[in-house]
Amino acid sequence: MQERKNGLRDNVIQLETDVLVIGGGIAGAFAAYRARQSGARVLLVDRSYFGRSGCSALASGVYPSYMPGDDVDAWIKGLGAGPLVNQTLFVKALPVMYEHLMTMDRWGVKWLKEGDEILRFGAPGRAFKNGVWMAEGGPQMMMAVRAGVLASGVAVVNRVAVTELLTSDGKLPTERRVVGVVGFHVRTGEIYSIHANATVMCTGPYKFPYPWPGSKLGYMPVDLSGDGIAMMLRAGAQLSRLELGGINLNPDNMLCAPGLESLMPSGAAFVDRQGRRFLEDYDPKRMEMTSRALLYFAIAHQKEEGNNPSMDLKNIPADRIELLKRAIPIVIANYEGLGYGFTGTPIPYAYQVAGTAGIFGAGARINERGETSIAGLFAAGTCSDIHYLPGGHLSFCSVTGDWAGAAAGEFVAKSEGAPIMSNQLEAAIEAIQAPLKRKDGLSYAPVHRRLGELLMEKVGLVLNSERLQHALQKVLEMSENEVARLQARDAHELAKVWGLMQYAQVLEATLRAYLHRTESRVAFIREDYPIIDNKNWVKMVIVQRQENTLKLWDEPLPESFHIDPVRPTQNLHLVFRNRASTHGAP
Amino acid sequence: MARLEINNAACTGCGVCVETCPTDVLRLDAEQKAIAAYGEDCQGCFVCQWDCAYEAIRVKLR
Repeated sequence: MQERKNGLRDNVIQLETDVLVIGGGIAGAFAAYRARQSGARVLLVDRSYFGRSGCSALASGVYPSYMPGDDVDAWIKGLGAGPLVNQTLFVKALPVMYEHLMTMDRWGVKWLKEGDEILRFGAPGRAFKNGVWMAEGGPQMMMAVRAGVLASGVAVVNRVAVTELLTSDGKLPTERRVVGVVGFHVRTGEIYSIHANATVMCTGPYKFPYPWPGSKLGYMPVDLSGDGIAMMLRAGAQLSRLELGGINLNPDNMLCAPGLESLMPSGAAFVDRQGRRFLEDYDPKRMEMTSRALLYFAIAHQKEEGNNPSMDLKNIPADRIELLKRAIPIVIANYEGLGYGFTGTPIPYAYQVAGTAGIFGAGARINERGETSIAGLFAAGTCSDIHYLPGGHLSFCSVTGDWAGAAAGEFVAKSEGAPIMSNQLEAAIEAIQAPLKRKDGLSYAPVHRRLGELLMEKVGLVLNSERLQHALQKVLEMSENEVARLQARDAHELAKVWGLMQYAQVLEATLRAYLHRTESRVAFIREDYPIIDNKNWVKMVIVQRQENTLKLWDEPLPESFHIDPVRPTQNLHLVFRNRASTHGAP
Repeated sequence: MARLEINNAACTGCGVCVETCPTDVLRLDAEQKAIAAYGEDCQGCFVCQWDCAYEAIRVKLR
């Protein structure tokens, strides 16, 4: 990395690198490490602090990992099941996650062990025990990973929010290639222009940024506003899986469902208002260890019925509580801090507004090398479609990060690069600073609140065309009349304003993708299309910006994805089957 | 709403919490003590409490 200031502008910090990685979660960490191993100069930029930002440090305390000798078929039938999983690539990912497990062990990540042996535990929806638990939680894991990555020679810049990709033709969308990025320091407001031969986007999932209006707690990092996905969309990259990445199972006061991977196999139970374990009605054999999708449906249904679904921790044995306090210390501190300890009140659950509570594994369409549809631009982890691997798991994020980093390293070895276009950079700098200069603009907090209320009110749990169209119209109006007119008092608030602007664009693309998929599947539930349609919808929905409009189309998933052939069945979605049994047909 | 309780007597002004807060809530004041300069953005993630070697900072959720 070279730093120089020239005559472009007094306060523009110009950096130059071979491979630029944006985002310091586990995907970004492994992308940077792998690209560095290829001999490239690597710079990792994080809007927060590499090792503390994003989901990885605050996740469920579990790294699902293959180990040599595992039954691959059991893996496919567990995490790899379903017609929209790329099972062929899934199998290729398994040995890589074990390699990463060992790399992290060498870096000093503390896994739960018996002697030297790394232990594994069960998790919901898995056919066998494959979850490696962190002995001192995600914070320790990510700080050890950070140290390992830094030791490899990766340079890091913290607290810089990247806002725009720069292209060799100076256009967005581009017809050529990505040549770097522009952004700003979230404390000083200094502008950063970063010239890179290859850029790897690892900015994680997206959700409504900051807590819901009226919610008491956020818990998860609030800044998951989809910045990277919005930038890739504007640059003309194809996006996919937007309508399918929703993880909509949340405690009432939280923005994610922290700890499920470790709490469920420890004896946590989902109960109704009478304290009855209602999974009995849905999957009496596996109960809470059922698939994540079925758990969503059961909770959604109970919520609809007014049965107050809650997670009850009181039957977790004492020895397991001690392990949980080590594996997910921050999650447990949150629950206890709210009065939901192991002996306290069950934790009330919601099934949050579809598509707005958290979208994991939806974003840039990538291939197995992490290449997007634009030259010089790579993506990995949960801001990509993760090439149809199970999106929310740390191990698939590290694996896709590795693949994208390796491909970026190969790319820079062959590519001569291209210069930044100064007119595009100037325009991007103007855009960054506009909310600071706007004197008659709108304040952040009320606009943020109105957008949140709109989503809760208009989108709803079970989707239909009418509500989606209405929500889309309202989002477009709000984007133009309010979000685009936000002002910021300082650099800190500028980061929040930019987050909301980026989110509004990804939200529009998501709502359009919802409208395009005319079936129901997993946590994507449409009452006007209640059929899980494996005859017509084993497909990806693609969104791409072409000039000033969003184009949407669908493509069949390649047959090469499937080891278990997909049967062309058409079945009523479970939510409607349950509804039919209690209320008559939908 | 999460809020931070900072014990000024225990705070050494080392700045670790300012460095690592995921949502950039904290700053050092003129006396080199941690303050929640952007307290409204605290999400109760406990990273500051976790990282403080002097037990000077506590996250309160209620």
